[in-house]
Amino acid sequence: MYALEVNNLRKIYPNFTLGEVSFSVEEGQIAGLIGRNGAGKSTTLKSIMRLISSEGTVKVFGKDFSKEEGAVKELLGYVGGGFRFYPNKSLSVVAKTVARFYPHWDGTAFDRYCEEYALVPTKKVRELSEGMKIKFSLALALSHGAKLLLLDEPTSGLDPLSREDFCDTLLSLKEQGITVFFSTHITSDLMRVADQIIYLSGGTLLADEPLDAFLRRYRLKMFASLAEAKAARAIGAKAVKEGVEGLVMDISDGREATLDEIMIHLERAKKETV
Amino acid sequence: MKALIKKEFSLCLHPMAVVFLSFAALVFVPNYPYEVIFFFSGLSVFFICMAARENGDLAFTCSLPVRKRSIPLARIIVAVMFQCALLLLTALSIVMKQAFFPDELLVNLVGNSANLAFCGFGALLLGVFNLVFFPLHYKNPTKIGVPFVISSVVLFLFIGVMIAIRQFPFYAPLLAPDFANYGVKLAVLLCGLVLYCIMTALAAWLSGKKFERVDL
Repeated sequence: MYALEVNNLRKIYPNFTLGEVSFSVEEGQIAGLIGRNGAGKSTTLKSIMRLISSEGTVKVFGKDFSKEEGAVKELLGYVGGGFRFYPNKSLSVVAKTVARFYPHWDGTAFDRYCEEYALVPTKKVRELSEGMKIKFSLALALSHGAKLLLLDEPTSGLDPLSREDFCDTLLSLKEQGITVFFSTHITSDLMRVADQIIYLSGGTLLADEPLDAFLRRYRLKMFASLAEAKAARAIGAKAVKEGVEGLVMDISDGREATLDEIMIHLERAKKETV
Repeated sequence: MKALIKKEFSLCLHPMAVVFLSFAALVFVPNYPYEVIFFFSGLSVFFICMAARENGDLAFTCSLPVRKRSIPLARIIVAVMFQCALLLLTALSIVMKQAFFPDELLVNLVGNSANLAFCGFGALLLGVFNLVFFPLHYKNPTKIGVPFVISSVVLFLFIGVMIAIRQFPFYAPLLAPDFANYGVKLAVLLCGLVLYCIMTALAAWLSGKKFERVDL
């Protein structure tokens, strides 16, 4: 079953268009939404959450978001960055308020997550570090039994060790059967946890497939000159210290490319085409 | 809706909203434009909306299991609670004033006298404020100052008209204390309350419609 189905999502801004994006995420998977700054990652997540008005349909566990908004949101936990709300309120006051919205709120689970994430309920939101704010958001989402977590750049303000902790948390959530869909431009986090990637570039979908398949599709090859790279139909060829490098789709050639390298060359190829 | 209203009280309420309720006691001041009491109610709505904006309340609330459209309604209901409390406190203050003050202090020389009809006019002013402020605010929730200025200007225009028409002879029955011309004043009160309900309901409908299209 699909935890998340997005069909023809479209949002037009004066200087940017998110164009007819469609993808789906299987239940129990960790899917990463990648793309450079301004590619449309946050627009996609906000459109899914209906924080912005856009065209297209979104289904969560088969339920249509626009028709069953309340029921769908009960299945969701949305974390837009860290917890940036009500800085002068204590965690316990926020949690108590949130609890009233969820019939399945588990107070014991919230206490357990607070203990696990070293959150002090009497502390005020403004006293939390960025990492702790994300953990607080996760504790809220998990305590109401969210089956799908939507996270917008959750690791962007975190140091490497906190990011490592965060990735561990995601993997443990996956073990509990929770589906995670998160946007990031830090590809090392994706390499560690993601099963699937959804790659946006300039508001259009470039890839939606299992991470392994995406990585296997491309190889990185060095060429002596740009002319040679063009002759070999290298994707996004660019000059480097040792010569010219580009992506090739012949799996017997070149070396394995990292996600960063694939993104850099695909973006470059797209720019050249434009 | 109950959870949304409780959230408004626990996370968004500005203390000034409660303080402004005490301004109902202004009816005890002799010869004063009592209509401004209802302007302070608008100011309390302004403070609540400002506190909510500074706390990122709308984006947070949108992630909770509620319809986006019902979010403005919850805040308007909270505003209505404060407005009803203000009307009630004003009415109580008027009853006390009429019971304990000498007759010569009961007729106001600069605005409406504090009586039943005045409460009706107050309800009308509150309804006008709601109808102008909330739809403008929820069209673009980052804007609070501009909707407040526009709604205050409209409010003071209405207050100006109310003060101006008190000079006409036909208005005289509405200026007397409550024991005279009771029926006319009661009719004005009822009309004011009905108009308040209609304008506030319209404000809630328009606000929900506009907020649904807002990009947060």
